[in-house]
Amino acid sequence: MNKSKSFGSRAKNAIPAEWITFAIALLIVLSMIGLVLYTGLTQDKQPPVLEVVRSETKETKGQFYVPFKVTNTGGETAESVQVIGELRLNGEIEESGEQQIDFLSGGESQEGAFIFTRNPQNGEIVLRVASYKLP
Amino acid sequence: MLQQAWKTELQDLIRGISGGFLFGIPLMYTMEVWWIGSYTKPPLMLSVLAVTFLVLFLLNQTDGFRKNNSQSFIQIVTDSVEALALGIISAAAILILLQEVTTETPLDETLGKIIFEAVPFSIGVALARTLISGGGEDSEEEQPQLTGSERKKQRYHATLADIGATAIGALFIAFNIAPTDEIPILASATSAPWLIAVILSSLLISYGIVFVADFTTQQKRLQQEGMFQQPIVETVMSYVISLALAAFMLWFFHRLSLTDPWPMWLRHTILLGLPATVGGAAGRIAI
Repeated sequence: MNKSKSFGSRAKNAIPAEWITFAIALLIVLSMIGLVLYTGLTQDKQPPVLEVVRSETKETKGQFYVPFKVTNTGGETAESVQVIGELRLNGEIEESGEQQIDFLSGGESQEGAFIFTRNPQNGEIVLRVASYKLP
Repeated sequence: MLQQAWKTELQDLIRGISGGFLFGIPLMYTMEVWWIGSYTKPPLMLSVLAVTFLVLFLLNQTDGFRKNNSQSFIQIVTDSVEALALGIISAAAILILLQEVTTETPLDETLGKIIFEAVPFSIGVALARTLISGGGEDSEEEQPQLTGSERKKQRYHATLADIGATAIGALFIAFNIAPTDEIPILASATSAPWLIAVILSSLLISYGIVFVADFTTQQKRLQQEGMFQQPIVETVMSYVISLALAAFMLWFFHRLSLTDPWPMWLRHTILLGLPATVGGAAGRIAI
């Protein structure tokens, strides 16, 4: 009784402002819940699928930069994604590099570069994702 | 009448957001929270929201962000929903500002980050009245007729008190953040337009906390005789103090050395300046 009375007298003074903010707030919270439900329902339960693509090699100050882009085309998040780059000359590994990416969730991609001191034009570059762990 | 209602409402909301910043900013500069958000599964996100709502509901029983609080059940529920929404908006805004959420971030990661960061922010909103209540002993408002030299002296004291309070507040919050790895990580991802946005947001948040949100010492502040008298002057001055302290703390913890290039100093200082200013604002309303 008492409760509803105090509420009633409040509402009379401040219907527009209070209720409009409440409506907006409710909308925000509900859309947040809606988005979470949406991702929950549409999210792949597939394991991560990791792909690494290299782009054009650039030479700067005697070093050869090989940019790469690693993408998780699977569903779940991969943690500690290890990318390895190797430069092979005449079938033998001459130089290699390693890069670790902290988190790669489904659909996300990250970029980086490997740096070699010898010209990759004379040999073969092998880029691969060596490992990851599930969070 | 209607305008007055909106003004009060807006003040209440800004008070809520200010409380959220005071409580939430330290966790915003914690990369572990971003990571947790990155790999949390949607069902868990929903339970985090539900638990947060429950906590807000309990906090709103005794606290809240409104100046005039009626303790009706419906009021507590609506305030809790609003606190959660304010938390979500503030957390999202700062995550975007710090480039932790960009257009390239996948939706589930974005949601996870926002929800986990929104928890401390919305708790801060629900505690806003207590967090931003000022000293409370503003009754000794005598304002006697002062002679010229006395007035000068008082003005000097008020200015000194403001500077001191800003410095203590800035140290209080930013000291926890300065030695950690978050500042270099954030600095590496940022760019000029975003730094400008960080500066403007720091000023806006500081202004909001001191001159809009605080209701106990507001009148006193406006009458105060310090050199900082003008709200905008005070806001800018305390921002400068916070920046200087931020730079000093970064140097103190060896995050920056004198041989580092100046753009690096600039980036790091501006990024640490945001929590430092929030702390400085809190310090000034506490005196």
